[in-house]
Amino acid sequence: MTVEPTPKVVCQNIWKIFGPQGQSVIHAPATQASKAEILASTGQVVAVRDISFAVQKGETFVVMGLSGSGKSTLLRCLPRLIDPSAGHVLIDGQDIATMDQQQLRTIRRHKMSMVFQHFGLFPHRRILDNVAYGLEVQGMKKAERQARAQAVITLVNLQGWENHYPGQLSGGMQQRVGLARALAVDPEILLFDEPFSALDPLIRREMQDELLSLQEKMQKTLIFITHDFAEALKLGDRIAIMKDGEFVQVGTPQEVVLTPANDYVREFTKDVPRSKVLTAQNIMQPALTASVPGQSVPATLAVDDLLALVATTEQPLAVVNGADQVIGIVDRSAVLRALAGMVPLSLGDQQ
Amino acid sequence: MSTTTQPFTLVEPTPKRDLRGLIGLAVIVIGALAFMLLHPDPVVFPPSWNLHLRDPIDSFQSWVIGHRATHPLFVYFFNPFSAFIDARLRTLETFLLNLPWPVLLVTLVAVAYKAAGRRVAMLTLVSLLIMALFGLWKQSMATFALMGVAVFIALLIGIPLGILSARSPRFELVLRPVLDAMQTIPAFVYLIPVVLFFGIARVPSVIATVIYALPPAIRLTSLGIRQVAANTTEAADAFGSTSWQKLVKVQLPLALPSILLGINQTIMMALGIVVIAALIGAGGLGLEVLTALRNLQVGKALEAGIAIVLIAVIFDRISYGLSQESRDAIHHAAQTRAKQGQTKFSPRQANLLYWGGVIVVILLLVIADRTLLDLSTFPWRFSIRQPIDALVLWMRNNLYQIGDLPLGTGPFSDAMIRYLLTPLRDLLLIYLPWPMIVLGFAWLAFQAAGWRLAIFSALAILCLGLLGMWEQSMDTLSQVLVAVILAVVIGVPVGIGAARAPRFALIVRPVLDFLQTIPPFVYLVPVIMLFNIGRVPGIIASVLYAIPPIIRLTDLGIRQVAPNALEAADAFGSTSRQKLFKVELPLALPSIMLGVNQTVMMVLSMVIIAGLVGGGALGFEAVNGLAKSQMGRGLEAGLAILLLAMVLDRITQAWAVGEGK
Ligand SMILES: Nc1ncnc2c1ncn2[C@@H]1O[C@H](COP(=O)(O)OP(=O)(O)O)[C@@H](O)[C@H]1O
Ligand SMILES: [Mg+2]
Repeated sequence: MTVEPTPKVVCQNIWKIFGPQGQSVIHAPATQASKAEILASTGQVVAVRDISFAVQKGETFVVMGLSGSGKSTLLRCLPRLIDPSAGHVLIDGQDIATMDQQQLRTIRRHKMSMVFQHFGLFPHRRILDNVAYGLEVQGMKKAERQARAQAVITLVNLQGWENHYPGQLSGGMQQRVGLARALAVDPEILLFDEPFSALDPLIRREMQDELLSLQEKMQKTLIFITHDFAEALKLGDRIAIMKDGEFVQVGTPQEVVLTPANDYVREFTKDVPRSKVLTAQNIMQPALTASVPGQSVPATLAVDDLLALVATTEQPLAVVNGADQVIGIVDRSAVLRALAGMVPLSLGDQQ
Repeated sequence: MSTTTQPFTLVEPTPKRDLRGLIGLAVIVIGALAFMLLHPDPVVFPPSWNLHLRDPIDSFQSWVIGHRATHPLFVYFFNPFSAFIDARLRTLETFLLNLPWPVLLVTLVAVAYKAAGRRVAMLTLVSLLIMALFGLWKQSMATFALMGVAVFIALLIGIPLGILSARSPRFELVLRPVLDAMQTIPAFVYLIPVVLFFGIARVPSVIATVIYALPPAIRLTSLGIRQVAANTTEAADAFGSTSWQKLVKVQLPLALPSILLGINQTIMMALGIVVIAALIGAGGLGLEVLTALRNLQVGKALEAGIAIVLIAVIFDRISYGLSQESRDAIHHAAQTRAKQGQTKFSPRQANLLYWGGVIVVILLLVIADRTLLDLSTFPWRFSIRQPIDALVLWMRNNLYQIGDLPLGTGPFSDAMIRYLLTPLRDLLLIYLPWPMIVLGFAWLAFQAAGWRLAIFSALAILCLGLLGMWEQSMDTLSQVLVAVILAVVIGVPVGIGAARAPRFALIVRPVLDFLQTIPPFVYLVPVIMLFNIGRVPGIIASVLYAIPPIIRLTDLGIRQVAPNALEAADAFGSTSRQKLFKVELPLALPSIMLGVNQTVMMVLSMVIIAGLVGGGALGFEAVNGLAKSQMGRGLEAGLAILLLAMVLDRITQAWAVGEGK
C-alpha cells in the first residue's frame, strides 16, 4: 500500500447557524436538540450541523438532500462565501478559516470555481466575457484571456455564441456558459450547486453525460450538490445523504442503495433499479483459481450490461480488476438472483 | 411550535384608540366652544411670544456682508469656492454662446436620435428652433450652462454617496431620513440659507440647485446597486473579485439603467429650481419669466415659459430614452437583436460611423462659420408676444365677465375668495383660537400615528407662532387646504374614469406626463393670463401642478384591485356603482391616500411660489426676504414653511400607511 495522499478537501465539524448569536447553540446542551426544537426555542436556524468529510483528488463527491437540508450552505462554506459558525475547511491541508481576504481571493481565483443553480451569469457581458471573467479578475491580459476563454467555449460546444449575451441563450446553453466560466480558470476543485436542477430532463441527461466525459479527461476534484437521487448515483464516486443539516449516510452508490442506513435513505433507494447499481463485483463468487476460461468482464460492469452476455453463454464469466487480474466469476444464476432482488453475496472489497 | 406558526392573523380593530380619539376630539370641540363663549374677541397668537429670530439673523447677515472681504472663512473658503464654480460656469456659458448655433442643434438632435429615436430627435429639433425663433437662444444657453454645471456637481457627489449607501447599511440608516427630509422641503426654501452665505449671484443658485437635486441621484444609484441579483454578485465573489472589481465590473454596469433614471430626475429637479433661482441672481430663462411677470408682460413671460418647458421636455425624453436604452442593452430585448440583424455593420461599427458622421458635420459647420457664413447668431425671428398680449387684453375684457352673467374669470375668482378662501382663513385665524389649532393638529397626528407624531406636530405648529409667522402660516394653510380639496375633488373622479375607461386613460396619461415635466414656476404664466394676480391664480396653478399624482394613484389603486375580488362582487350581482363604492374604492384607498400625500406636498410648494404673483402669506415673506435681502424675515418664513411641510407630510403619510394596513 502507498501512503494515503492528503485529501484535496477536508471539512472538519462544520456548523452553520443563521440567527442571533450563532455560536451559542453549538456548545450549549441544546446541541442534542433537533433543528425544529432549536428553531422554536431560540429562533436560530441550524443549516449545517457538525459535518465532516474528506474528498480525494480526482474524486466526485455528491451531496444529496431535499430542499432546505442545508446543501447550499455547506457548499458555500468551502470558499467561505458563507463563514461557517464553527469547524475547519482544509484545502490541500491549508485551513481557510485563518486566511485573510487576500489569500482567500487567491484560492477563489485559482483553486476552486463554482457553478450555480440559477447560472449566476453576468447579463451585461457577452458569453466570451462571461467565460473570461475569472481570468479578468486575476489580471490576465485581454488577448490571452480571450484566447483561453475561446478554447473553453469550444470545449463545451458553444462556439459561435461568443458575442451573444446570456439573455439570448436557452437554459441548457446558459449552464454550459456557467460550466465554461468555472473551467476557464483551470481550477483544481469544482463546486456545483444543483447545476442541472433548472433544466429540462432531456437537457439534464445530456449535461450529466457531458460532465462525466469531461471529468474523465480532466480528473478534477468535484463536489456536486443535487436533490435528485438518480443524478447522485450517476455522477458520484461517493454520495452523502443530507437531512436537516446532517449527513445521514456517506458511501459509494452501491453501499447506499444496497445497505441504506435508515428508513429515510431506504425511501430514496426504493425506486432505483438494482441492475443499474449492482456491478459484476457485487454479485460475483470469489475465484478459486487465478485463471478462468471464457470471456472476462471488468469488475465495474453493471448487472444490466451483464444480462446480454450471460444470455448468450452458459459459461461463467471471469471478473477482472483494473490490473487485469481475475478476482471472481459470475454466471447466469448469479445475474438472475441479483435481478430477483435476492441479497447479493457481498458488497465486495472496495479496493 | 405554536409560537412560530401563525397561518394568518386577524387584524383586530383597536377600539381603545378610537374611543380615546373621539374623547380627544370632543374635548377639543367643547373646549373651543367654551373658549369662544368666554372670549368673544378673536384670540390671536400673543405677539409677545415672538422669539424675534430675525434679529440675530439680520445681524449675522450684516456681519457676513461686513466681513466677506476680510474674514478667513470667506477669504479662504467661501469666496475661492464661489470663484471656482463661477469660473467654470462662465467658461461653459461662453463656450456654448461662441458655438455657431447649428452646431449645438446638430449635436443635441444627434444625441436625441441615438438615445430615444426619431420622434424625440424631431421634437428636439423643433424645440430648439422655437427657442431660437423667440430670440431666447442666449438665455437658453445661460440656463443650459447653469443646469449643466449643477447637474454635473450633483452627480459627482450623488453617485458616490449612492454607492456608499448601497454598500454600508449603517450609512444608509443615517442618510435615509436626511434624504426624506430634503424631499419634503419646497424648492424655494433652499434658496434662503445659501443667499445668507454667498449673497445674490449665480453660484448660490448652483449650490441650492445641487442640494435640491441631489436626493434622486443618491437614491437611484443606491437602489440600482441593491437591485443587482444576489446570485450575480455571489458569482462575482466566488471568482475572487475584489470589492472594487465587483463594483466596476458587475454592480455599476447592472445599476446603469437605474442610475440614468436618477440622472433624469436630477435634471428635472435641477431645471425646476434653476428657473426659480432667478430670484437670487441666476439669470437665464428664469430671469426672463420673472421680470416679465413683474412687469405683467404676459406675452414675454409666456415665450420664456414655453422655452423652459421645451428644455424640460427634451432633456426629460433624452435622458429617459438613455435609461431605457441601457435597460434594453442589458436584457437584450428581441427587437435589438432583430435590428442588428438587418444592418450590414456590427453595432460597434454602426456607432462609430454615426458619431463620425456627426463630427464631420460639426467640423464643416465650424469651418463654414469661420469662412463663408456668419453662424454666430440665429438670423430669423418669430414672436408671439403681441398676439398673446392682445389675447390677454381680450380675455380681460371679455372673459372677466361674460355679458352681464355671473360667469367668467372675475366672478369665479371673487366667488372663490369670498366663499372659500376668506372664510377658511378667517376660521383658522379669527374664529378658532390658536391653541385649538395646535390641539387639532395634535389630534390629527395622534389619530394617524400616535403620541410621538402628536407631540411633534403640536410643537411644530406652536413654533409657527413663535417665529412670528402665525398669521401668514394660517393664510398659507387655508390656501393649501382649498387647493388640495379642489385637486382631490377633481382628481379622484378623473382617476376613476381613467381606470374604468381605457380610452379615456389613453388621453389622460400623456396629459399627466406633460404636466409633470413642466417646472412649477412656469405654471404661473398661463394662470395669470386668465386670472391676473392674487391668491386665486396661485391656487389654480397649485391644482394643475399637484393633480397628476392623485389621478395617477387613484387610477393605479383601482386597477390593482385583485380580479378575484371583482369577480366575487360580480357574482353577488353588484351594480357597477356598488362595485365601485363597496369594493374598488375601499381597496384603492391606501393608494389614493398616497396620492393625497404627494398632492399636499406639491400644493404646498406651489402655493409658496405663488407668493411671486400675489399669493401673499409665507411665500410672499420668503420672496420679499430674498428680494429685499431681509434675510431674517426670509429665514423665519423659510423655517415656517419647513415646519408646515414636515407636519403635513408626516400626518398624511402616516395616514396613507395606516390605511394600507
Ligand atoms: N441567509 C440565511 N439566513 C437564515 N436562514 C438561512 C439563510 N440561508 C439559508 N437559510 C436556512 O438554512 C437552511 C438550509 O438552507 P440551504 O442551504 O439553502 O438548503 P438547500 O440548499 O439544501 O435547499 C434552510 O432552512 C434555510 O431556510
Ligand atoms: Mg440550495
